[in-house]
Amino acid sequence: MIQAVFTGLFGLAAIWFGVVVFRTASMVRSALALLFSMAAIGGMFLAMEAEFLGVLQLMMMATEMAIMAIFMVMYMMDPGGLGGMDMTHQKRASLVAGALGALGSLAVAVLAGWGPVEERVPAATAQVRGLGIEIMERSMLVFETAGVTILTAMIAATAIAIQRRR
Amino acid sequence: MATLTVALIVGAVLFGIGLYGALSQTNLVMIMMGVELMLGAAMVNLVAFWRFLHPEVYAGQMFVLIVMTVMALEMTVGFGIATGRFRAKGSVEMEEAGDLKG
Repeated sequence: MIQAVFTGLFGLAAIWFGVVVFRTASMVRSALALLFSMAAIGGMFLAMEAEFLGVLQLMMMATEMAIMAIFMVMYMMDPGGLGGMDMTHQKRASLVAGALGALGSLAVAVLAGWGPVEERVPAATAQVRGLGIEIMERSMLVFETAGVTILTAMIAATAIAIQRRR
Repeated sequence: MATLTVALIVGAVLFGIGLYGALSQTNLVMIMMGVELMLGAAMVNLVAFWRFLHPEVYAGQMFVLIVMTVMALEMTVGFGIATGRFRAKGSVEMEEAGDLKG
């Protein structure tokens, strides 16, 4: 019961800050709201006893969103939101699509039979060990593919962003 | 069961918010924020499924690591495109981008 309460509280925080991302005019506030939303998701992981993933999520998102805030200030025409610019389009269609996506997912979440729920979970150290073995055995190819994809993305991003000499 | 349902409901709502953001925003960085929220929703679902349905199988956690990687890649390539676009056109407004040609 306590687990459900904490998961719900962190979930409400994630949803609230997720809404703030698109409600505030200030881009810096948007980035910070996304940071808090992602941190709340990390809190949900911790509440669901996935300690390693929770800590990883908190650490990764803190740096990722800080970088995002810098880019937003660099590239936005009105990063402070002081000009009152409207930076949205097709609002109604987006709202309908978002609502339909959420309602469809909610229907599946509530109506589907998920089978028996496991109450016990391995200890945090056993989880890390199990994940390590999973990475090094069954999912090794997937993990290696992710590594190669990261390298490819780094090269592609640099190639796109680099200034062309004419 | 209650916690699983709570987590799935949170995931569903976050997905809806992210989808709205990705479709409604005109700025590339804001569109990326919407996509990040949708991926965050996917991660919530994956952790909930791992925790409450198969905690002894770590493929669920592995999948979360892959989604985190995808989030980082999306940001890397997205900011690369944003930088290229800003150099070429001085703006990252997607309304002005008929194509991605620099």
